[in-house]
Amino acid sequence: MDLSAMIPELLSALPLTLAITLTALIVGFCVALVATTFRIRRIPVISQMADLYVSYARSVPVVLQLFVTFYGLPWLGSLYGVPDFFSPTFAAMLGLSLYHGGYLSEVMRPAYLAVERGQHDAADSLGYSFRQKVTRIVGPQAVHIALPGYGNSIIYLIHNVALVMYIGAADVMATAHLIMERDYNQYQFETYLVLAVIYSMLCLIAWLIVRFFELRVSKYAPKVTPVKGAIMASV
Amino acid sequence: MFDIEVLLPDLWSILDAVPQTLVMAFTIFILSTLIGSLFALIERRQIPVLRQLVVAYKVAFKGVPMVIVIFLAYYGLPAALQFIASLARVELNAHAMPNWVIIIVALTACVAAFQAEIVKGALNSFDTGQADAAYSLGYKSSQLFRRILLPQVIVAAIPDLANSFMVIMKALSLAFAIEVVDIFAQAQLTAALNYYYLEAFVIAVVIYMVIAYIVTQVADRAERALRVRT
Repeated sequence: MDLSAMIPELLSALPLTLAITLTALIVGFCVALVATTFRIRRIPVISQMADLYVSYARSVPVVLQLFVTFYGLPWLGSLYGVPDFFSPTFAAMLGLSLYHGGYLSEVMRPAYLAVERGQHDAADSLGYSFRQKVTRIVGPQAVHIALPGYGNSIIYLIHNVALVMYIGAADVMATAHLIMERDYNQYQFETYLVLAVIYSMLCLIAWLIVRFFELRVSKYAPKVTPVKGAIMASV
Repeated sequence: MFDIEVLLPDLWSILDAVPQTLVMAFTIFILSTLIGSLFALIERRQIPVLRQLVVAYKVAFKGVPMVIVIFLAYYGLPAALQFIASLARVELNAHAMPNWVIIIVALTACVAAFQAEIVKGALNSFDTGQADAAYSLGYKSSQLFRRILLPQVIVAAIPDLANSFMVIMKALSLAFAIEVVDIFAQAQLTAALNYYYLEAFVIAVVIYMVIAYIVTQVADRAERALRVRT
């Protein structure tokens, strides 16, 4: 087995993995913002649907979510007469965005609620609108509370990007499978070890970035202990 | 394209896999909780070398996706067992090990790292004043553990434990990669027979959500019934 040849080849697929991760991060964040707003404001039917979406994202395995997106997209498209042009990569991005959004919503909502009750009341009594309240008073404090949970959810997102191979996206895992098959499946254990190192490094980098922001934010934050959010893995 | 009529036969077919999934999940849950408690105990007692090992273990297993751990176990575990057996001069064909053993070992190893964290958190929530009170009443450590610490720690850990049970259920969906049949794998097999993929997966989604709902309800009830009223 030639590590010096294998690692560059594996890393050549890294941009796609990172692209899927970044898309899921950004889209998932927006989805989570919308879902959390609906859940907090308790608008009759919509907030129940948001609840259902969050429990879907949290209680269904990510592989299954990916498959549902992969097979569900063409079906949705056919309802509206859109031709079936969706690639596995697109399905992976969308599926992971939905997963990440639901998971993140369950980080944001507790953080919003964990901001001291008096702050909410004060903002309400001063006649702030919901948007002003969130952007000026509750939001900045909730960021400090939510950051550790957000870091966790990024790490789980990176873990779950390893699953997009099953719907046919050509990410690092898929490349590793190609390499193993070319070597007549002799070095499977070693290849997976290299993969484990690569994913650990990605997680480490993500963790360091979040940690940097945590330290920065904690300088300006009031003395509220951050909620130690869900420590469990999410698959 | 979405055929309502296959939903019911699909449901019966997929429900077949629910009992074995639950049995595997329970096994992993119990094993990983035991190992996790051991880790938490090591960290709490601050046993010199073991403590660093536990921390390294936790870092390693939290950074690596579970799929990769499963594949590593699949390709590494039989060979490792064979090697150990040959050292101990025991006749053993480790390569004939069934795949469900591998999945149980791999997932136990992964989840134990998280269970350790949960048990540690629950232990930290224990009020040390109660320990002082118990000692001043002449309790032995074993009595303190059994009569005061354990009942409170278990109740404090119930929500997290329910959560981790669901995580194990979900993690078992990765078992299809090494040909162990759980709910998700059964959905795939069912779909492969009649080519109604979306329908089978929707049924699987519903089953998972119902199980999650039941687990949360049971955990809530148990917590409410067991919590000491103050």
